[in-house]
Amino acid sequence: MSDSIGSLRSYNPVVKVLAPVPAMIVTALSRDPWTPAVFAVIALVMLLVGGGLRGRALLWTIAGPPLLVALLTVSFGVWTDPGLVDHTTALLTLGPFTLWSGALETGLATGLRVVAVMLLALIAGLTTDGTDLVRSMIAHLRMPYRIGYAGFAAMRFVPRFRRDLEIIRLAHRVRGVDGGRGPVATLRRYNGYAVPLLAGAMRHGDRVSLAMEARGFGAFRTRTERRHVPLRLRDAVLALWLLAVCLVPHLLSGVLG
Amino acid sequence: MKNLTTRYLMACAAIGAATGVLLIPAFFVSFAISATVPLAYAAMAGVWFLGPVVALAVLRRPGAAVLTMFLAGIINVATPAGPSAILTNLMVGAALELGFLITLYRVWRPWLFFLTGALFQVYYAISAYAYFNIDDMTTAAQAGFFVLLFGSTTVFIQIGLVIARRLMAAGVGRGVAPVPATR
Repeated sequence: MSDSIGSLRSYNPVVKVLAPVPAMIVTALSRDPWTPAVFAVIALVMLLVGGGLRGRALLWTIAGPPLLVALLTVSFGVWTDPGLVDHTTALLTLGPFTLWSGALETGLATGLRVVAVMLLALIAGLTTDGTDLVRSMIAHLRMPYRIGYAGFAAMRFVPRFRRDLEIIRLAHRVRGVDGGRGPVATLRRYNGYAVPLLAGAMRHGDRVSLAMEARGFGAFRTRTERRHVPLRLRDAVLALWLLAVCLVPHLLSGVLG
Repeated sequence: MKNLTTRYLMACAAIGAATGVLLIPAFFVSFAISATVPLAYAAMAGVWFLGPVVALAVLRRPGAAVLTMFLAGIINVATPAGPSAILTNLMVGAALELGFLITLYRVWRPWLFFLTGALFQVYYAISAYAYFNIDDMTTAAQAGFFVLLFGSTTVFIQIGLVIARRLMAAGVGRGVAPVPATR
């Protein structure tokens, strides 16, 4: 794990999760295209500079947002009420349907808003390890460690689920209950997996809890950790920066009138 | 804290892990289809209720929905929603929990699940108004949005209750729920 100050990975996970929230709220409540555009660009630059992204994640981070904005612009443009925008220029007429430039503008603002919120969430999403997030929540949010360890357990349950699902699928196939092809049969098949999968998982949970208690889990009020997630000055700087960014709409409205 | 037995925590972890795995594609799909068809997004919004409904109906304990959705959120960190998935999930879990909190965890009948779910969707629709630009849509699209939103909520809560009933019939979680399942 990189510990350089330029790498987003070295920042505290809880700070990365909570600090962008005010910016997300400002973005979600804005109606103009400029505010979300600024937030999207800031978040994108932060991710590209400090994210340490590689391969497919890098490709999607660069190519995804413009594609999504384009898609959202057109689709929300189509859904917009023509009565509100028919004073603007008509760009395209297909039978009874007319694409108004005003509708596209609304669509663009909506698209930018969705993308900006997504990119702000990805600041933490692409650079955080789930177990570190839980450790940091226990240490810095004062979350009871018993709940945190339930989180670790849940993460460990996922690969087990995959194996269980494979076994259940094979068992169903051996007994010939796959029920044919097509989407309806597939849906019915998955419906048949849900209950045995969950029942197996909960029974496994019972056994895990017995094993944990047999080893003295929960005997004391506090618990020491082998791996420590730091909370440093750089995290305060990151939080202040993301809060300061929330002032952008005010500055923008000052500049644009 | 005293009521959080390890067994209860692990039961929540099991349901939470399953919910999290289910919601990973849901988060991806919701980003893809909120991009193309906002109405389809409304149609799948109910998926988020599946986990908390199963948890509450099987475990029948205060905090089951919140805890399960929190743990599911930890699994969802790897989705486009990132760790804000934890906040999204916590919001859904807490919302569903509210109806049971108000009735002091004495009523566990299906109507309370449906009522709480419907009330949350009213709140969600209002909060999503600005985000999805609903008031700029045509009237037909607006009506469709709400019909699909409430329809999907009802359907997924019903699925959750059926799964919960079958799980209880399988004898899972017996002894975790403090009240007998007949009430």
